[in-house]
Amino acid sequence: MSPKQTTRPGLRIIARSELVTQPIRDQAAADLGFPISFEMIDSIDGLARVVTRPDTFDLYHQWHTVDLIWTARCIQPIDVARLDHGSEILAAARGRSGPSRIIDTVFDKLFVQADGRLGPAPTNLLSMLPLLHGLDSFGYAPAVRDLVGSEAESWGWLLDPRLQGRVAMINDPVLGMIEAALAVEATRGTAFSSVGNLTLDEVDEVADILLHKKRIGHFKGMWSSFEDSARLVQRGTLIQSIFSPGVTRLRSLGQEVIVGTPAEGSRGWHADLCISSEAAGETLDMAYAYLNWWQNGWAGASAARQGYYATFPARVRQHLLPGEWEYWYEGQPAPRALADPYGQPSVPAGHRREGGSHAERMSGARVWNTFMDEHTHIVHRWREFLSA
Amino acid sequence: MRKGLSGLHKAYFDIVKDWVSGSIAAGLLPDGTRLTVAAVADRLALSRSPVKRGLELLTETGHLTRDARSGYIVGNGSLAEPDAANLFTLPLPDLAPATGVFVRAGWERILDEVAEATAASIPFGIFHISETAIGAHFGVSRTVTREVLSRLQERGAIGKDRASHWIAGPLSARMLDDEHALRRLLEPAALAQAASMLRAVLPAMQERLTKARPNCPPDEIDLIEADLHDTCTSYQPNRRLAAVLMHLRSGRRVNRLFATHVVQHDEAAMLTEHRLVLDHLALGDSEGAAAALRHHLDADHARTRERLKVLSVFTDPVVAPYLTRVG
Repeated sequence: MSPKQTTRPGLRIIARSELVTQPIRDQAAADLGFPISFEMIDSIDGLARVVTRPDTFDLYHQWHTVDLIWTARCIQPIDVARLDHGSEILAAARGRSGPSRIIDTVFDKLFVQADGRLGPAPTNLLSMLPLLHGLDSFGYAPAVRDLVGSEAESWGWLLDPRLQGRVAMINDPVLGMIEAALAVEATRGTAFSSVGNLTLDEVDEVADILLHKKRIGHFKGMWSSFEDSARLVQRGTLIQSIFSPGVTRLRSLGQEVIVGTPAEGSRGWHADLCISSEAAGETLDMAYAYLNWWQNGWAGASAARQGYYATFPARVRQHLLPGEWEYWYEGQPAPRALADPYGQPSVPAGHRREGGSHAERMSGARVWNTFMDEHTHIVHRWREFLSA
Repeated sequence: MRKGLSGLHKAYFDIVKDWVSGSIAAGLLPDGTRLTVAAVADRLALSRSPVKRGLELLTETGHLTRDARSGYIVGNGSLAEPDAANLFTLPLPDLAPATGVFVRAGWERILDEVAEATAASIPFGIFHISETAIGAHFGVSRTVTREVLSRLQERGAIGKDRASHWIAGPLSARMLDDEHALRRLLEPAALAQAASMLRAVLPAMQERLTKARPNCPPDEIDLIEADLHDTCTSYQPNRRLAAVLMHLRSGRRVNRLFATHVVQHDEAAMLTEHRLVLDHLALGDSEGAAAALRHHLDADHARTRERLKVLSVFTDPVVAPYLTRVG
């Protein structure tokens, strides 16, 4: 780790590559007029640094870690008064209505309460600026239907013997364990008490099943980035967990893939912006400028073209081309071929997004990305699975 | 690479050396007294070899002179006729209470240190414990190392994996839950029993709390935690209860590690809760103190669970050299 810089290189931002894509990074740098250095960290390995060295970054695009980084006090409260559209966040939280109903969970840990903890009661201090959210499930090739017939889409397919040897999963333990638990639930027919916070025994049950399946050759591969996941489909997996940008990529490549809308519900997520506890003075001013830039809607529109929803979409639509809002947010058929964030044709004309409109799709969120209480045990068992 | 058996856990020869030099300094072993290995070993109920080594070391420091005929003479050996005293008739101090708190078998001397090092590592994950490295670290034989690890296994602190390697951890949220459930039952009861005997020690504790800042250093937090959770409850008369409470410290260890590794920690809530308990004690309200302690244990448990999650993302924590992270 480099020592604290004396001459600052502008704003230092840590983000994930599929959340803050190159077009977004380029546009932010062009619009804001001060230097920004982005550091892309796509695994949870960088988290220890975020927690212990808040002096090494100014902004962090957090993803299901807000309770953890708040506990470690490596981020500082965001002053609603310094946000261009802060009142819209407060209004949504008070009403828990309109778009906010779609992603209710983001408010649970949004506000700094009088006792210093995070909670849902609106105050003028935020733990994070909500940016994007979405719903992940699995993608499958049309050939799956030849093997499973017309039965309803289910997470259970990930463990289905009929698909043996043609299944892939994400290799991240946090998300992978949630998806595996959904698959185990569907297979055994009974639900876990809390699929987003499994007990030690439940983790073991899921892990034992995964290990057995791996040993009998059930899985074709594991992926760590959406590019990897697209390559796995091209190499012949029939079904796998998948991120929305992976779907967009495959469609840009002309590969047919269907996104599952499983009966059991899907895995929801939200991604937000946090300010380092160490940011101050001129740096803090730049940080707020970047936050406000995200609120203006351009970035949300770019993210929409790979299937992500803005948590406050009011100003997104003005940056979208005719037909894009209707396809991505309203679930209407694409009036023509639609491009991905990089300008490549992706969605074919006439295609209708699986799962329907924004509200319909997000109502399918069964569980939200989260670090479970038994995280250490999960990581241990997951490593055992990966190395089996 | 022998790292000292630090603090209380001195080697036997060091104990002998300190006992003899201390007795000389106190004037209990006058110049010219003749000491034989056999007599000292008999007086201290130790075997001869550490006694011989201890006495040898004192010849190097000038406390003793080797006698030409047998044994050692206190002083520089200038007195013409050394005096062979019966060591049982001299008013010499005993080493320690009967069973020897300070004089402990080889494995006992390192048991506590290995237990603490292991317990302080498992919040981060799973660790392999190397017998060879423990031997090298403490300068002890494999027999001693095995004895230590067997004792830890009996306590349930460590186990063996399928390949028969010694393994510890991880500390799970459920283990914290289980421990909290026990503490919540036992500790308020222990405090209530001790309450009437605490008047004398309370003012110093209250002063420490008043002075403490929310981001006080880990060592200061340790003292504050020890005041309430160790010292206060230690006044209750049930020894078995005390022994049980002593082993329920995982939560405190997690908080300690968190304060050590996460510089921005804030203990304001803990300080307020401790103050509340001590205020009840100062008023002579034992039931109120017990209730306030129960509240503190619950709140602290919630914080500890959150902190364990933070520790679980650390990739390369610093641990004892005989521990290797495996998960």
